[in-house]
Amino acid sequence: MADALTPRHRWGSTELELAAMPASPPEGRETLIRIRDLHRRFGPRHILRGVSLDVYKGETLVILGGSGSGKTTLLRHLMAMLRPEEGRITVRGLGAGGGDLDMAQASEQQIESYRRNLGVVFQGAALLNSLTVLENVGLPLIEVDRLPVDQVRSRVVEALRRVYLPAEEILNLKPAALSGGMRKRVGIARAIIQKPRIILYDEPTTGLDPVTVNGVNELTLDLQQKIGVTSIVITHDIGAAFMIADRIALLYKGRIVACGSKDETRANEHPVLQQMLTGSTTGPLTEGYAK
Amino acid sequence: MERTRTKDTAAEVITRSQAAKAAERTGGVLVKQARHAGRAVLLFLDTCAQLRNTGRVMPQLVRQIEMAGFGSIVVLALIAGLTGMIMAMQTGFELSKMGLQGNLGAIIGATFLREMGPIWCAIIILARVGAAIAAELGTMVVNEEVDALRVMSINPVRYLVLPRILALVISMPLLTAIADFVGLAGGAIVSQAMFDVTIAKFKESAVLLLNGPDFWYGVFKSGVFACIIGTIACDRGLNTSDGAEGVGRATTSTVVMAVVFVLVSDFVLNAFIQAVLRPIFG
Ligand SMILES: Nc1ncnc2c1ncn2[C@@H]1O[C@H](COP(=O)(O)OP(=O)(O)O)[C@@H](O)[C@H]1O
Ligand SMILES: [Mg+2]
Repeated sequence: MADALTPRHRWGSTELELAAMPASPPEGRETLIRIRDLHRRFGPRHILRGVSLDVYKGETLVILGGSGSGKTTLLRHLMAMLRPEEGRITVRGLGAGGGDLDMAQASEQQIESYRRNLGVVFQGAALLNSLTVLENVGLPLIEVDRLPVDQVRSRVVEALRRVYLPAEEILNLKPAALSGGMRKRVGIARAIIQKPRIILYDEPTTGLDPVTVNGVNELTLDLQQKIGVTSIVITHDIGAAFMIADRIALLYKGRIVACGSKDETRANEHPVLQQMLTGSTTGPLTEGYAK
Repeated sequence: MERTRTKDTAAEVITRSQAAKAAERTGGVLVKQARHAGRAVLLFLDTCAQLRNTGRVMPQLVRQIEMAGFGSIVVLALIAGLTGMIMAMQTGFELSKMGLQGNLGAIIGATFLREMGPIWCAIIILARVGAAIAAELGTMVVNEEVDALRVMSINPVRYLVLPRILALVISMPLLTAIADFVGLAGGAIVSQAMFDVTIAKFKESAVLLLNGPDFWYGVFKSGVFACIIGTIACDRGLNTSDGAEGVGRATTSTVVMAVVFVLVSDFVLNAFIQAVLRPIFG
């Protein structure tokens, strides 16, 4: 009987997948990244099916989604590793001559200069195994800016302090000698070393123990407050989302189906969101699974 | 009676559809390989365009030469030496029946300088280093390290591919020279021990070749093999997909494709040397 009342039965699948249209930014906020009707197919598989989302300047936006829902694919579009095949992504003020950047049409040079404003924290930290922590964190300074060694060193030490790592002790270690949590922090240090305006995090807390998870979440908040960047965090960890987000968006079946502040998200009755919030095993996310 | 016929027909249908499938698969594989080859050629051209940045990749280059070159010397010398000894033994038996064992130096020399040296070097390098490059780059792709480089505006061709191919192009001709030398030495030792051909006599017989351009043709070939092995390994590594399984696939296909392309290019290069270089240099 109770089953009949679960949202699964009140929400049809079309309603479940109905895209939430981006609202105009609240007072005092301006849109930095505008994604409209973004599609991505891999062969016959339609992964992104019309993502529309606004990212406001200076906010931390968390994008929630189950595994395999296309979170990383969406993020790779924001890194310009994938260009929009269909739909548009525009970034305000980071295009040629301070104009808007249109990701589909931007030249390689424009993309490169856009990426100078971008820090990315990859899922597995993506540190280069053959390099020391110093060389890893300082890599863009060494390879792109070609700064002298002592300057690289002092900036690396500063970045490592920022992520609360004992810089002097680990500078000359290889990534293999670090714990998972430390590697993630080193990855964050590398992402912030060029003082980016946008930081993208791909599942920053996945695979870490609970204490380290909190550490990384606090670090995300801390960076947000201290260097005032715009952060986009992709995760399936709803607890982390509520801890660090200004706004939370939900990616489901290739679309953003809900997007709002923490309070709005809590109040949202979308069954997928409710299932994520309650961790229930029955609901649209686990549809078709054997009980 | 009726049943047998039905069975036959079914078997025929199965055979035919399998043949069709096999043909289809072969066609698909060919198309795919052609596409891969095209992609690899582009990667090679891209690497050549990055040559002006060689100064910036010196540390990686030194590390790669150390790994690829020095790491291969012992095993290559062992194999070349043994091959020289075996060849001397096998040809020596036949030649000594006719009293021609005095020519062992020339025969072993020609074989080694022209084919055995460069080919053994290519085989050892593609199995040891080519496979390792594909596995390493493949793992980097899977761990998103290559993406990280690109996001930081560090060109992976410059940073990863250039030092690896260049290291092979520098070390393989040297390794080939070593293989030539050790192979001849092995041959000379066996010739003396088994067929009473003194080292001096062996050398005298080989000297005609050693002074000729054959040594340099072999070295030149190994430089081309280096480009082929390095390019295939880097291309397969950088285009890895599907996680750990993909890394395994990249490694295996690097070895297979590198063997095939090294041998094909050996054939073509020999024709080129005969038709173009010999008339000029002898
Ligand atoms: N380059 C690619 N080629 C083919 N399929 C891909 C590629 N990238 C991602 N996919 C597929 O797209 C789906 C979503 O992947 P991804 O964005 O990594 O999911 P998430 O990060 O949410 O777990 C997966 O099923 C994956 O297999
Ligand atoms: Mg992912």
